[in-house]
Amino acid sequence: MTSLSLPRAVSAALFSVLLGGTSFAQEPIKIGWLSSLTGPLSSAAIAENQGVQFAVDEINKAGGINGRKIELLTRDTAGEPTKAVNLAQQLVFSDKVHVVIGPVNSGESLATVPILAKAGIPNIVIGALEGLIDEKKFPYAFRAINTNTQWIAGANNYALDVLKKKKVAVIGDTSGYGTASAKTATELLEKAGIKPVYSVLIDPNKTDVSDEMNKAKTAGADVVMPWTAATGLMARILNTRGNMGWDVPVVGHPAVMALPIKALLNKPEYWENTFAAGYQSTTYVDGKLPERTQKLVDALKPALGGKIDFTFWWVALGYDCVKIIEHVVKTTGGLEPAKFKATLEATKDFPGIYASYTWTPQDHNGFPDRNIVVNSANSFKDGSYDKAPH
Amino acid sequence: MLAVIVSGLAIGAVYAAAALAYNVMFSTSKVLSVTTGHLFMLGSVFGAWFIGTLGWPIPLGLLGAIAVGAAFGWLTEIVAVRRVLARSDEHLWLLSTLALATMGQQAVGLWWGTEPRPFPRLIEQDFASGLADQKYWLPIGLVLVLALGLELFYRGTLWGKLFQATSEDAFAARARGIATDRVRSFSYLLAGALGGLAGFAAGQLTFAFFALGLQLTLFGFIALAVGGLGSNLGALVGGTALGLLSSVASYFFGGEFQHTIAVGLLMVVLLVKPEGLFGAKRVRPV
Repeated sequence: MTSLSLPRAVSAALFSVLLGGTSFAQEPIKIGWLSSLTGPLSSAAIAENQGVQFAVDEINKAGGINGRKIELLTRDTAGEPTKAVNLAQQLVFSDKVHVVIGPVNSGESLATVPILAKAGIPNIVIGALEGLIDEKKFPYAFRAINTNTQWIAGANNYALDVLKKKKVAVIGDTSGYGTASAKTATELLEKAGIKPVYSVLIDPNKTDVSDEMNKAKTAGADVVMPWTAATGLMARILNTRGNMGWDVPVVGHPAVMALPIKALLNKPEYWENTFAAGYQSTTYVDGKLPERTQKLVDALKPALGGKIDFTFWWVALGYDCVKIIEHVVKTTGGLEPAKFKATLEATKDFPGIYASYTWTPQDHNGFPDRNIVVNSANSFKDGSYDKAPH
Repeated sequence: MLAVIVSGLAIGAVYAAAALAYNVMFSTSKVLSVTTGHLFMLGSVFGAWFIGTLGWPIPLGLLGAIAVGAAFGWLTEIVAVRRVLARSDEHLWLLSTLALATMGQQAVGLWWGTEPRPFPRLIEQDFASGLADQKYWLPIGLVLVLALGLELFYRGTLWGKLFQATSEDAFAARARGIATDRVRSFSYLLAGALGGLAGFAAGQLTFAFFALGLQLTLFGFIALAVGGLGSNLGALVGGTALGLLSSVASYFFGGEFQHTIAVGLLMVVLLVKPEGLFGAKRVRPV
């Protein structure tokens, strides 16, 4: 057996420590990204993916976070909760990711959030359904998107306080999301002392909504508030209103201002007098976007062929999810779950593009109410909108 | 209330057309193909693509939609029915047609997108025409023409008689020299053309939507089961009843009960009259 001289042994020890340290410093940050890139509701996911991918590329080009590159593991859930569960398990147990972003849809998130919580993996939640966040049951889940209630409250406030309407017709669809949203909308209205003059749930694939709209009109509604993410149903509500010649304002879910609606309208003017809950970050004020949003728009636009034909807040949200992770790594030096939790719970007004986020130990919903504004649906330009008239 | 009846009749006509397509395929193969609703989806999606995107004239777009429907019908027979029937008497066609339907739907979703897209206006008419709007009357008119056309075809043409012979007893028909395989292929082609045409006519009502197929497969089947398997009159009555009942149920009880009542209707009819309203009682001689 040969023995090393002291100087050589010390050198070898130092070298191994340095080498070990270097390899640790260069271990990539593994981000799992559960995205429904195909299947229903893929349009939001595709836009979010643009933001996620752009942020990852930007950070990696700049040398990574504290010298550590990001390895993005994108998994297409196709919008199916069962597939999302399998992929979440694969990301956690096989790919050994440090953190998971998504899934995109609340229905999928309902299935994956408990699994990620059980595995103790930090999760940036981008589903709007209230039940996805529970500080005790899911201690490592932090929401970046607004809650559904924030959307509804924003739209209700606009209808009641700005438009001064009191006779509300609430329309939901028969999906779990539509039913829960219509219920929340009604509860919030009743808290404000308004009992809807007409409430109805409609099958999202129903081909004709004339009877529902006629009933709403007969009930004396002076504002129609649809809570559905189904583009077809939303377009049918607007077409029926237009065909009836009923100039009642429509204030509701952001789906009412999604671009696919435009093509489904019988006439472009059927989109007028229609408003939806949107975001300060993607709202033009005097023709200008907030500086941070504009910067991202300018950076992304060339890669998108010079025009943005999808709602830009999804991109901003995707971008912010990666920047939130960067914020944690920069603050703590890693993504150890307990430190991730402690860092975000102490984060106040973190300046994202989609919003400025604040999380506390008592509240893992990071999106502030003040970042919700109401937009005019037909004012789409480069993915952003004008503020609704006040 | 008139609006409820007219919109119920219109969607009922689409269900009835789906039931007719089921009948055409069933008569020669004794298979209830899951791809039935997808023929309609293809008619509306390709009709919208040909006319709305490629700018084809409406008659050419219509022919194109019929051709795509017919091609998918034929493909169903070749891929999902022919080989399965040749190898097994079990109901494996349920799986093979479901697989083909799923693949077709996914392919259209990837290419066309998963959001509904508009179907072009076929006849010059103001959108404020109310209940006289073409989106209601085109499917209603078409299904009547289709039912009449099929009856004339079955009764008045040699091919129709071959269909009937194959339907009555495929073995006996083959013993008499009828190429039953070819008759079956033709029936799928015909059902595909019928579905493509009906999907095209109903496009303004349904939009050009990739997920339309499975819904029509289900509701077309309910219409068929209510009306009676093999009966075109039953298909018409079953489809109309289902459309009206769904519409009226939605009007009186809300959308959340629409499907419950539709499926409830199926159960009631199957319990009281298992062969359907106009279905023939099959007696097996022993």
